[in-house]
Amino acid sequence: MKTILTKSSKFGVVAGIILIFSEMINLSSTLAEILEKLFTGGIATKDVIIPFYMGLVTGLIVFFTTFAFLKKQKSDRKNSFLHGLAAAIIISLVSGSLISVLNIILGSYLEKGKDVRVYLEALSPDVIRAFLFQTDVRHAVMNYFLSTFLGSMTALILFWLSQKTNQPAKTIRGLARLKEKIQVGRIFERYPAVKTISILLVIIAILTLPLIVNAYTISVLGIVLIYAIMGLGLNLIVGLSGQLVFGYVAFFALGAYTFGLLTAPKPFGIEMNFWLALLISLVVAGIGGFLIGLPIMNLRGDYLAIVTLGFAEIVRILINSNLMADYTGGPQGIKNIGQPIQPSIFERYFGKPLEDNVWFLYLIIFVFLLILYAAFRLQYSRTGRSWEAMREDETVAQACGVTTSSYKVLAIVIGAAIAGAAGALYASRNTYTGPSEYAFMVSVNALAVVVVGGMGSIPGTLLGAFIIKGLPELLRDLENYRMVVFGALLIVMMIIRPEGIWPVKRRKLSVAPESIEVLKEDLKP
Amino acid sequence: MTKKPSYVLEAENITINFGGLTAVNDVSLQVPFESIISIIGPNGAGKTTFFNCISGFYACDKGTVFFQERPINGIPTDEIANLGISRTYQNIRLFTNMSVIENVLIGQQPRLRSTCIDTIFQTYRNRREEKQSIQKACNLLDFVGLGAYADDVANNLPYGAQRRLEIARALGNNPHLLLLDEPCAGMNPHETSAMIELINTLRSQLKITIVLIEHDMKVVMNISDSILVLDHGEKIAQGTPDEIQSNQKVIEAYLGSGTENLVEKYSKRKADKRKLD
Repeated sequence: MKTILTKSSKFGVVAGIILIFSEMINLSSTLAEILEKLFTGGIATKDVIIPFYMGLVTGLIVFFTTFAFLKKQKSDRKNSFLHGLAAAIIISLVSGSLISVLNIILGSYLEKGKDVRVYLEALSPDVIRAFLFQTDVRHAVMNYFLSTFLGSMTALILFWLSQKTNQPAKTIRGLARLKEKIQVGRIFERYPAVKTISILLVIIAILTLPLIVNAYTISVLGIVLIYAIMGLGLNLIVGLSGQLVFGYVAFFALGAYTFGLLTAPKPFGIEMNFWLALLISLVVAGIGGFLIGLPIMNLRGDYLAIVTLGFAEIVRILINSNLMADYTGGPQGIKNIGQPIQPSIFERYFGKPLEDNVWFLYLIIFVFLLILYAAFRLQYSRTGRSWEAMREDETVAQACGVTTSSYKVLAIVIGAAIAGAAGALYASRNTYTGPSEYAFMVSVNALAVVVVGGMGSIPGTLLGAFIIKGLPELLRDLENYRMVVFGALLIVMMIIRPEGIWPVKRRKLSVAPESIEVLKEDLKP
Repeated sequence: MTKKPSYVLEAENITINFGGLTAVNDVSLQVPFESIISIIGPNGAGKTTFFNCISGFYACDKGTVFFQERPINGIPTDEIANLGISRTYQNIRLFTNMSVIENVLIGQQPRLRSTCIDTIFQTYRNRREEKQSIQKACNLLDFVGLGAYADDVANNLPYGAQRRLEIARALGNNPHLLLLDEPCAGMNPHETSAMIELINTLRSQLKITIVLIEHDMKVVMNISDSILVLDHGEKIAQGTPDEIQSNQKVIEAYLGSGTENLVEKYSKRKADKRKLD
């Protein structure tokens, strides 16, 4: 009994601290606001948070803590309802009193008309009123105790039910069985027509998407796809050939600046055709990759990461410097970068030309599909396999006849060229390119795209791009907390699924064997 | 070819030093065509070092290795694989996250010609080569008895199967010479006899010359044409299994000196047994 007292009060303190912390940085009221929007269908009462949702957030936090506590108990304790009841009550009391103390202090400040914002920036009087459930301190304290109590009781009841009926385990088993039954891969294998049709459907969906969404979504989709292109390139280097390249942004910048210099009116005034310039920036980035690839051919792991990191910094500082200012525009960057001219086909079909951003999204999709095709081909070929073998065991791969140094350089060259194409698209889309856009963060994001999605997995890379660049946009409702929540999501994701969201699956390749005579003939030196 | 070389492999006076330690000292070895040569010796005798020297992992400090009368000292391992020397490893080194058939496909690397440009544009050469190499990989897997596992991930194979897969991978580049580093280590008697059978078939059916390191004397005495014994980096004996069994130096290396009586007893018992048979 004594142990349960100390243990559960510890958990109560934890819940209380979480409550206090999230109140002090104003997280809980933001969450309450989101819940309110969700349940009332976005018709939020202006600025005033309905007390019910405040209580709901408090209850939820206590609910999770209690549930975690109950789950952590040893099996004999788990089965005792009385133990659970005592623990739940203690947790709710402890956390409730902790949060109440804070609110009594805040409430008294409010009544005296003092501004707490001097100490805690987030807590304006309106927010404190929300924390006090729009009533006075006494009622607020009662409300807090009620919500913590309800939260922990719900946790207890749910936990008890799950123990008795074994429902969660059953559900998971059922889902696994369902997954076994519905194997998309097997269906595709048996009915090739289904595969073709579903691919067609996806393509049609992709093609109609830019026409039906709004301008904001178009811009988000554009950036997501550009990152997906970069991810595909980096996936070849990091995911397949296993070389940790940290300065990927250097090749992105090379592509962007080459494209800018070739198409902008200043400083050279070449104003080249879009496609030709795209091709040249791809080649220039590839050459950059080759040059950096030569000295690092024989480096492994960490050394490689640091060398490429240095390279990226050199590139960024060079384009920012006075030395190159005549060519790169220094800190001002290059303005008025050319955009492609829309072919008249669209006008003929739609009656009027497409809007610029829609047309450009189509362009990005087109380039993206080309690169996707190339990446698929490369991965499932002799080249891709050699890269993977190198990643698995470089020494053995070489002893099997893989010329590791040239395959390493090849991976970097192709990856760099793809980044160059992405950079060119990015510069053209913004009609501007400047040194501030090529910070280290871009490399980190590109790496995160690959790692989150699943190393070496192409669909994983696409998913990763949506998560890294798309999810922060979806989380906009969280305002200042979106990057915090985003970071937390990444951490949780990597703990639950370290192999990435969509890890790579091996393709079935085997065919029926022939007789040993064929093999004898085959193996004749 | 104007004249067929007399040996697949000739190692002449190989010496390898690691700092002050002489791991292999003045060892010579001739490997005739279609033979099975075993290298034995107590732990730390320099067997694997010698192996690594032949397969290009280490450069030797003195001496020369000739492969079909061509010196191969200091050539990178991928080129040695190109020439037709394959090897397996003492502690199995597969590409663990790749599928079984992909492992064998990597082994065929030196025989493939299609480039990444071919791959992207799906040229005729690329498609033909891909089809042929997959067929060959399946044939090889069937040969070593792993046909059913072709699409599994290599890491999930049972131990014995992983050893066989290493051999299948090594066969991919049509080797003249196959170096097996302890192919039967850690196997049960059943698996061991299957491995002996496999090694014998490699020679008889596929005409491959084999050099192997092995601790299991049953295997060594069973399949070798000739045995090379190393101790403390030096060659102490070479000969047929029977010669090696009665060689005093070898017995001393394994059992220590002062065991003459024991050996006499053993050979007497063995002679009796033969009479009975």
